[in-house]
Amino acid sequence: MAGDEGALEALYDRYAGMLFAMLLRILRDPGAAEEVMQDLFLQLWRGAARFDASRGSMAAWLLVIGRNRALSRLRGKERREILGDSEEFSIEAMPSAGNLEDEAARAQLMRRLQGAMAALPPEQREAVELAYFEGMTQTEIAERTKCPLGTVKSRVRAAMQTLKQLFDDESTRQSGRL
Amino acid sequence: MNRHVNPEDSDLYALGALDGAEMQELEAHVRSCSECARAVDEARQRVALLALAAPAVAPPAGVKEELLRRVRAERIPEAHRAELAKPGRVRGFGWLTPAFGVAAVVFAALSALLWVRDARDLRRVHELEGQLAVAQTRSLEIARAAEQTNKLLEWPATKRVALMPMPGMEGHGGVLYNAKMGMVACSGWLPAPPKGKSYQLWLVPMEGKPMPLYVFGEEWTHPMEMHVTPGMEAKAFAVTEEPAGGMPWPTGPKVLVGAGE
Repeated sequence: MAGDEGALEALYDRYAGMLFAMLLRILRDPGAAEEVMQDLFLQLWRGAARFDASRGSMAAWLLVIGRNRALSRLRGKERREILGDSEEFSIEAMPSAGNLEDEAARAQLMRRLQGAMAALPPEQREAVELAYFEGMTQTEIAERTKCPLGTVKSRVRAAMQTLKQLFDDESTRQSGRL
Repeated sequence: MNRHVNPEDSDLYALGALDGAEMQELEAHVRSCSECARAVDEARQRVALLALAAPAVAPPAGVKEELLRRVRAERIPEAHRAELAKPGRVRGFGWLTPAFGVAAVVFAALSALLWVRDARDLRRVHELEGQLAVAQTRSLEIARAAEQTNKLLEWPATKRVALMPMPGMEGHGGVLYNAKMGMVACSGWLPAPPKGKSYQLWLVPMEGKPMPLYVFGEEWTHPMEMHVTPGMEAKAFAVTEEPAGGMPWPTGPKVLVGAGE
């Protein structure tokens, strides 16, 4: 894609909505979300020559690195990166548990995931959202929600177990289709 | 950690929810265990998809334009360097240089004129995009406030406070407040404040000074959610008229008032 504006535009058109929604949810500031998103696409464009699509998904890269960048910015400090967002790692393709490349499959996955999140008990949903969208550890969640740490751990684990089931079903559905 | 990583811990690690010591222990094990490294990798893939839980929001069109502008700006210097590196590019056609110079000046002037017009249009587009982004953010706030309201309603300790207008004042409102959770949700209506003024919502605690909660710079029509220090019981809630931008303590007339107990 390096040097190919058309490819960058196509990639942007496909993933910008998904990425922007996540960044806005984390940062709650459209200007900051736009800035992070532009930087990500620019980084992708600069390093696209090193990208090996057979090893994974650009969409997964955008989501993982995008979340890391947004959380670092949100917390105003260099957060310990979950996936080592370093220069040498910068344009590695990442495998994805779902089909993010196909628009229809992505939309379906989005609906299922949002449905599953809405069906979670509120306290489980809150715990997962605080961890994912605000980058909080279990201890921080316990402090924020004024709940014992053990309770928070149980909530996060239960929620992740439910979501794991959803992703496993999704994965089975994808394999059955292939 | 010599034992294998619990699958649930892989999810928590990928989510970033493990605390320092737990995380370090897991990382140390994963470095030397390919089976657990694979499990953690799969968990990362699943967790990445949680991004799709955010309601879809289209970015303003100007973001793409700006991105492409940045991409082109990076390409131009490269192209320029390559051009300069070519040997003898005007050799034998020196007489053409002045003509090209004049043409270049005319072209630059025309480009500048067009650029000024485009820049004006672009500014307008950016303004509209800014307004759209504000509307999208507000929708997000409203959705969040609605979610917060539902959550508050589920808790038995939540108190409901009606905000009534003071004599001669317009407006109305309601507050849901849960002292234990430190959560406040508020909805209602207030007209646009007088010029140079804002309305400000306060929590009046049982003891101590009123606590500022929110400043309304314009007509209040949408619900809001706020967090306060958990454990603080409220004696009352009030909205006052303050200098634009709000004050650290109430100075103006009361507009809406509601008793907390």
